[in-house]
This record gives sequence, structure tokens and C-alpha cells, in this order.
Amino acid sequence: MTTQTFPTGTHPSADDPSVLVEDDYAFYEPIPPYPPRTEREAEFYTLGDGEMFLNMGPQHPSTHGVLRVVLKLDGERVVDIDPVLGYLHRGVEKLVENADYHQTISQVDPLEYISSLFCEWAPVTAYEQLLDVEVPRRAEYIRVLSGELNRIASHALFLGWFALDLGGLTPILWSFIERDEIVEMLAALTGQRMLFNYYRIGGVNGDLNHEFMSRLGDWMSRAIGQIEAGTGLLNENEIFVRRASGLGVIDTETALRFCMTGPNLRATGLPFDIRRAHPYSIYPELEFDIPTRTEGDSLARFLVRMEEVKQSLRIIDQCLEKMPDGPIMAKLPRLLRPRPGRAWAAVEGPRGMYGAYAISDGTDQPFRLKIHDPSFIHLQAVGALLPGNLLADTMAIMASLDPIMGGVDK
Amino acid sequence: MTALGRTWDRLTLPGRALLILVPLLAILLIGLIVVIGLFGGQILDILIFNLPIVRFVFAATVLLLLSPPIAFVIIYMEMKVIALMNLRIGPDRVGPWGSLLSTVHGLKVLMKEDFTPSRADPVVFTWAPVVTFVTMPLSVLVIPFAPGLFGQDFNIGLLYFFAVGGLTVVGLLMGGWSSFNKYSLIGGLRSAAQIVSYEIPLTLSVVGLIILAGTMSLNSIVQQQGIWIDASGVSHGSGWFTDWFALRQPLGFVIFAIAATAEANRTPFDLTEADSEIVAGFSTEYSGMRFGFFYFAEYIGVFIISALTTVLFLGGWNAPFPFPHISWVVDPGSLGIGLLFVVALVPLLGTLLFAAPFYLFRSKTRWWVALIIGFVLFNVAVAGLVGLWAYINFDWVAGLFWFLGKTFTLVFVFVWMRGTLPRVRIDQLMGFAWKWLLPASLLNLFITALGVLAVDWLRKGGA
Amino acid sequence: MDRALARRLEARFESVLHGPAKQRHDQTEMRIGAGDVQAVLTALHDEPELKFTMLADLAGVDTGSEMQVVYHLWSSTTSDWLRVIVEGLSRDDPRIPSVTYLWQGAEWMERETYDMFGITFEGNRDLRRIYMPPDYTSFPLRKDFYLPDDAARSPGAGVRHVERTHSPVDAEPGVLRRTGA
Repeated sequence: MTTQTFPTGTHPSADDPSVLVEDDYAFYEPIPPYPPRTEREAEFYTLGDGEMFLNMGPQHPSTHGVLRVVLKLDGERVVDIDPVLGYLHRGVEKLVENADYHQTISQVDPLEYISSLFCEWAPVTAYEQLLDVEVPRRAEYIRVLSGELNRIASHALFLGWFALDLGGLTPILWSFIERDEIVEMLAALTGQRMLFNYYRIGGVNGDLNHEFMSRLGDWMSRAIGQIEAGTGLLNENEIFVRRASGLGVIDTETALRFCMTGPNLRATGLPFDIRRAHPYSIYPELEFDIPTRTEGDSLARFLVRMEEVKQSLRIIDQCLEKMPDGPIMAKLPRLLRPRPGRAWAAVEGPRGMYGAYAISDGTDQPFRLKIHDPSFIHLQAVGALLPGNLLADTMAIMASLDPIMGGVDK
Repeated sequence: MTALGRTWDRLTLPGRALLILVPLLAILLIGLIVVIGLFGGQILDILIFNLPIVRFVFAATVLLLLSPPIAFVIIYMEMKVIALMNLRIGPDRVGPWGSLLSTVHGLKVLMKEDFTPSRADPVVFTWAPVVTFVTMPLSVLVIPFAPGLFGQDFNIGLLYFFAVGGLTVVGLLMGGWSSFNKYSLIGGLRSAAQIVSYEIPLTLSVVGLIILAGTMSLNSIVQQQGIWIDASGVSHGSGWFTDWFALRQPLGFVIFAIAATAEANRTPFDLTEADSEIVAGFSTEYSGMRFGFFYFAEYIGVFIISALTTVLFLGGWNAPFPFPHISWVVDPGSLGIGLLFVVALVPLLGTLLFAAPFYLFRSKTRWWVALIIGFVLFNVAVAGLVGLWAYINFDWVAGLFWFLGKTFTLVFVFVWMRGTLPRVRIDQLMGFAWKWLLPASLLNLFITALGVLAVDWLRKGGA
Repeated sequence: MDRALARRLEARFESVLHGPAKQRHDQTEMRIGAGDVQAVLTALHDEPELKFTMLADLAGVDTGSEMQVVYHLWSSTTSDWLRVIVEGLSRDDPRIPSVTYLWQGAEWMERETYDMFGITFEGNRDLRRIYMPPDYTSFPLRKDFYLPDDAARSPGAGVRHVERTHSPVDAEPGVLRRTGA
């Protein structure tokens, strides 16, 4: 593939965008124009007999965000894949180093934008460890309550996407009704519908108010019926079950080797949930089960998430019963200067373990914040799951692992 | 710059088009009238001499002209019905309840940029949508809409229908291959595999019906599902829906319905245009009117499949129950001068009659609003009465009514399936066709044949 | 805080640890050098009393004076997270053995660390850039990464006015902040 290069400053379109420059359109294969840099790249970009590349590019109706997947196909069968990331990379970890500790909360919100509260929860917990701050109990209860609501909203959206990638047009719109109600509730509580910016170091931003409680009460009385209706639309559909069962089977060994966490791991049989395995916040005081399935296929991942929604409703009930009075923020100075140290905190998000590793150097800006994102890890596993499946299953498997590209690309 | 030049510059594009077209049309019209006046008799002779060709040309033209309106209706139905199933509102603004939206879509695709990808094969790329679209009116040619209202009545009508309908896949393959796009290629190949696999159960499932009916002519198949008189003068049928072939060939009906859904590339078998996997399948690189052709062809295909199912299994233009024979002759001439009074007074009285309840029982309605409502309702009532008179007196109106009603009910069922069901995978689809539908249709065929033989043998007294 | 874990680790790995195992809140921290990575992590992964089978995170850190790679591990035998800090990697050519033989999921985490810091993981089959474009020449999360320099090297070369930097021509990169943590 030959591309014409221009010396600096001489490209015709630099000044006049109406000038079109004809490249050599000879070969549009998605093979990089440079020699393969690594062993794996060489292995992938060599075509076998009868194979072809198909580029599911960053713009595609179905990839969950801007993800580019180069598939090596043999007819309809996928032989190998190479995901190319970075289209949504925003440099959050670098931006955070130039911000105050408080400002980082709004920076990390858009990482997994569907479940923003969990994206805030892990760094905030890490900062609280650095500052040795104890969060008031009422704030912890509110965090758990809003977090579980966000989990339900995220799983509702998962249901919609999963069905949409399999071809059903209706469930996504029904799940948006679900999500819309929850998001309006959270807007009454936090002020925002999506990137909530609600948790603060030492507590939360605003107390429960009347509108939130009335919306919550109203929704809780209908919740279980709506959820069952939406789930039943897919569960009891023969075509859906036949497409999803036996698809993308992972066993526990492989899952642990790929460092998977969350519902994807629980669907393989291992009941690992950070809320029980390494409890944080007030989860030790709450009663809930950990739904687990043993098949490890897409249907199992779907069912685990739907069961989790029911468990989340249980947790919300208990939170509302046991909500203590008290302050919602710990007393902290305006300008935070933790002493030099390192802290790691992990929470159980709807997609898996969401972790934050914070290093402070004594100044008022974090020295390093490393975010560990479950979608990033799960997307790796796709490379091991897809070969051997058909093209139509590519999207189904990716949808069943539920990646959010904002988190993948940070 | 001349005055003409300046005027031309000031016109908008539609203005310029009108300025050229209207005089042209006027000249053509005058020319036509002159020609008919001068040579009318000779032209008529030639036409009568070639009546079958004329009939074909006329039928094909009418069907081509009717295709867009039918497609518009079905597209609108799909958008609105699926929206209501999705608990949304759907098209709402353009026309009453958004019904003119698909017309606007049609105009929109005319105005879009129509490009050919630089590496695509221009001839094949251009002709692919044409091939797909042209098969549609050709197949509709044999479908009887009402007694006496059909394009042609071949005695191998059903065979002709399947033969021509199978040409769609040629168009899809052409489009998929010539687009120089791997997504299109995959879409085209999937569609070829799917349509070819489902042709066989489709045709085999109606062979049983052909054995029972004894003919492949669609017109006679429909007639045999009502009250009819056969060649020897014996009258058959009861006029009830129990005559329909759906009840006499239930397995064939089910197989045909499933295979027809696959033939029309509808959900759950719409992998060729699965837009969550291969963008738009074979039509990825098409835009403008070429895409419009593919789009139309798909929806006319839905109509055709529904029409064929209706004709073959659901009684075609027969009513589900026998109507009593009433005749209602309206002879306006017999009133004499009273006609003038009728024409003057009836609209007035009707308006007042329909306006009265609104004015009297609803205090918010002002008197002139009530009169407008009354007038509109009166017109609706008169239209209804005229329709009823037409239904009673012309059997083709009755037949058309029932035919369209049944066809659009089936179209609704297709749209319903699209809104509800997810997609099957290509290997599941092929497996289903070859391992289940094909043996089932063969089974249907054998059972029907055995049944016919058994009945014949019993009727001859077991000899 | 699991005191027993710290004692066990110090007993098992005392020859390679760079100091005692520190503990704070629910994390235990141990520091090793780059050469001992494979031995230590294999032992942590395989030995039945340790059983740290879950790799939670793999992070790169640029302390200003050196580079570090930090592993976070979880085991069902203890209630603490284990943090393994591999320190002493030079800032000019940081190299460290890869752990992809233990956890295949570490492959992308190591790619990310390479992309952001330039740390080469020996043994990783696929060490190429993951977020930045393949022909990018800087490592963004390093403390000496200065954005206007990067813009000047972009393909537009500062021709478009949005790419022209507003810093003085002879600006120096900001002072490296060092941390003692």
C-alpha cells in the first residue's frame, strides 16, 4: 500500500479543505502499512488459504462504542480477531494528575458512563484510605442505595443491547423505560441523569430528598413486574435461547487466567463477588445472595445479570429499612493534602471488579491514579472466545460480555 | 445578462423543473389528442388485434404504478406498528398520525446523492436494483385480486410465480458482489444460500395443494375456495371459511408460511440485512433511488408473499361466510324532478343531523365547528353507503375488499414478527430448512397423495 | 490488616524483599526487584498456602527517579490485598519479565503499561501500543511528557492554528515531581 507523504506544512488540505487528494486506493485491507512489530501481529496478519480480513470498524451499528475489530474470516467462520482500541482514549489518568483530589471525581465519571457511580466509588474509597477518613454510616448507606440502583439501570441496558445484537428490536426500548425511571430518580438525588458526580471524599454530595424517595417508592412497587416482563421477553423466546445457549463458553480456569471478574466469572461457576469476598462499605450488614451459574455461556451470563437485579432490589429494600440518621459528609478541610502513601480500593461494579490505585506525594494533586477497568479485561477474553464461531455470533458474544468502551479506552 | 438569463437564475430548482416540464406536458397532451383524433380508429384496430400484449402491458403498467403506494402503506405500517409495540409513538407529524411519512421518505431517496463506489462494477451495480425490483410486478401479474381482476391467468400460474420470484436472489447477488465491499458480499451470499434453501420447502408445500385443487392456475385455486361450478356443472363449496385450503392442508400452510418469511427476508430470517452485524448487507453501498429500489422491492415482496398466502390458503377474494343475495339497485333517474330536491336537501339535512349531537351535548363546540364536523361526518357516511352499494352490486369490489383485508392482516403478522422476534443464525437457518422443513413438506405431499388415492378408492366402492 | 500474611511473606521471600512488608488498611505491600519477578509471582500463584490466583491489577508508576510496576493480587487465604511493587527499573530502558505465562489477561495490561510508560515486558508476545496510534513516538504518562512538544511533532506539524502551541519556543519541560512513597 503506497501512501503519499507530504513534507511538513505542504499538504494541500492544510489551508483549503475543499481540496481532495487522491490517494492510491489500490488496497484497502486493514493490514498495517509497516512490518509487524510483534509475534502476535505477524501471526494474525498472515492470511491462510481462503481466509479474508473483515474490518468491523470504529463506526459500526453494533460495537458498543468505538471499537475496531479486525476479523480473520474463513467464509462465515471467525478464525482470529484483533481488537484495536484507543478511539475513545481521553487520557484520564494524565488529566487527573493535574487536578485536585475533588476534581478527579468528575474526571473519572465518564469512564464507564453507564455505571458512573461505581467509577467514582473506587477512587473515592482509595482517597479516603490515603486520608484515613471514616465515612459516616448514613453516607455509606446512601452510597450503597444509589450504587445498587445504578447496577439495575446498567443491567437493564445490558438486556436491551444483548437483544438488539441478536436482532430483537423491542427489548431495548422496554429496557430504556426501566432505565429512564431509575435515571430520573438518580437525577432527583444527584442532579444529573448520567455522569452523576455524586460521591465525595468522605461522603456524598446531597441527602435523600422527597422527590427521590417518592419516585423510588413508586418504582419499587412496580419494579419486579417490569423486570420480569422484560426478562421474559427473551427468556421464553425459543430463538433467543437457541442462539444464546452454548455460545462463547468459558470455564472457570480460563476465566481466572484472563483475570475476569463480575457476572462473567460468576456465570462460569465461581461465586466470586467483591462484596462478599472482600467486603467494603456496609455490605457485611446486608443480606443478599450471589447468583451463580455453571454453564459459562452467553445465556448463563444473561441470566446471572437478571438474577443480580433481583438481589439488588433486596439490597435496596434493606437499605431503606436500615437507613440511619446522621451526617452525610465527614469533616474534611477544603484543600486535601494526604500524607505520602499508596492505596488500592476495589468495588463490585455491574461489569466486574472496578479498582483504583492512588499514590499521593503530599501535595494537593494525586501523583498517580491507576484505574482498573473490567471491560478492558473482558475484551481481551473475546479474542479467545470468538475463533470457531460464526460472524453473527461475534456481536452476540461481545454483547454478552458487556463491555463499555469508555472504560476500555480510559 | 439578458432578462431571460436573470429570470432563470432567480428560479429555484423546482421552479426550473416546472418551467420545463409543464410546457412539455402540455405539448404532449395536445399531440396525443390530435393523434387520437386523426388516427384513433386505426390505433384501436391494432390494439384489439394484439389484445393479449395490450392486456399485459396495461396490467404491468398498472402494477408498477400501484407498487409505490402499496409499499408506502406497508412501510408506514411497519414503522407505526413496531413503534407501538415498542411503547413508542412512531411517525407522528407528517400527515394525520404520520401517515404521509413514507411518501416523504420516497421523495427523500429521490433527492439523495446517487453514487457508485469507485471500485464497484458499474454495470452490475446499476442493474442489480432493477432486477430485484422488476421481478416484483412480474410476479404480481398472476395474482387474482378479485373475480375478473387479475393480470394474466396462466394455467401454470403458480409455477410461473415461483420461477419469477426466484429471480430476486439474482438481483441481491448482483448487488452484493458488485459493491466491492466485504459486508455486501457476505450479505449477498447469505441471501443466496437462504433463498435457495427455502425455495424447495416453499414449492413442495404447495404441491399437496395442487393435487387437491387439480390445477396450478391461481384464479381457479381461489375459485375452488368459494362457491364454484366445475366443468361438469356440479356446484361445490359452501362459502364458509372451512373451504379454505388452510384447513384442508394445515401442515402445508404452516410450512409455506415459514418458508415464505424466509423468502421475503423478514425477521426472524432477515440475516441478509442484519444491521447489527453486517451494516446493511448487500445494500450497504447503495444510496439514493437505487437503495429506494431495494427498499421498495423488499416491502412489495412482503405484500406479494402475503397475497400469495391469501390466494393459496386463505380463500383469496372469498368472504369467510356466505352472504345472502340481496340486490340494491339505485336508480336516480326514477325520481324525476325529485332528484333536484334530493341533491339540494339531503346534504343539508345530513349535515344538520350529524352536527346536532356535537352542538347539543358538548357546550364547548361552537356552532360553525359543529357544522364542519357534521359535514365531514355526512361525507363519510355517504362514502360508506356508496361503498356498501358497490360491495353489493359489484362482485369485484367485494372480492377486492376481502382480498386486501386478508393480505394486510398477514402483512400485519409479518410486521408483528419483526417487532418481536430476534434473528436466527445462518447455520441454524440452513439446518432448519434442510433438516426440518424439507422432510415435513415431503411428508405433507405423501400424505395428501395417499389421502386422494384413498378417497378415490373408497368412492369407487372399494374395488 | 492481616499481620500473619506479612510474617508469612517475609519468611518465604526474605532473600528478595527490599525491606519489610508494609501494611495499611486492608493492603499488604512488598517490594522486589525486576529480576525476581518471575520467581516471586510464580510462587505466589502456585503455592497452596499462598494461592494468589487472581491478578487484580498491573500498573506502571513513574516516580520521577525510577519506574515501578505494581501488581495487585487477591487470594482466598487472606483478607488482605497483596501489592507487589517491582522497583528499580531505570527510566531510560525499563525492562521487566512478563507474567503472561501465569495470567493471559495480563497481556493487555502490560501493553497499556508499555504504551503509557515505555516499560518493555520481556516475554509478552504482543507488546505494541494499545491506546495511542501505532506510530506515536512518546510515552504519555511519563513525568517528562510535555504536550506542546508532542503537538509540534504531529502530522499537521503545527500548520493548523489549533495545533500551534502557545508556549514560548525555548520553554523547558516542567520540573519532575518526585515522590518518596
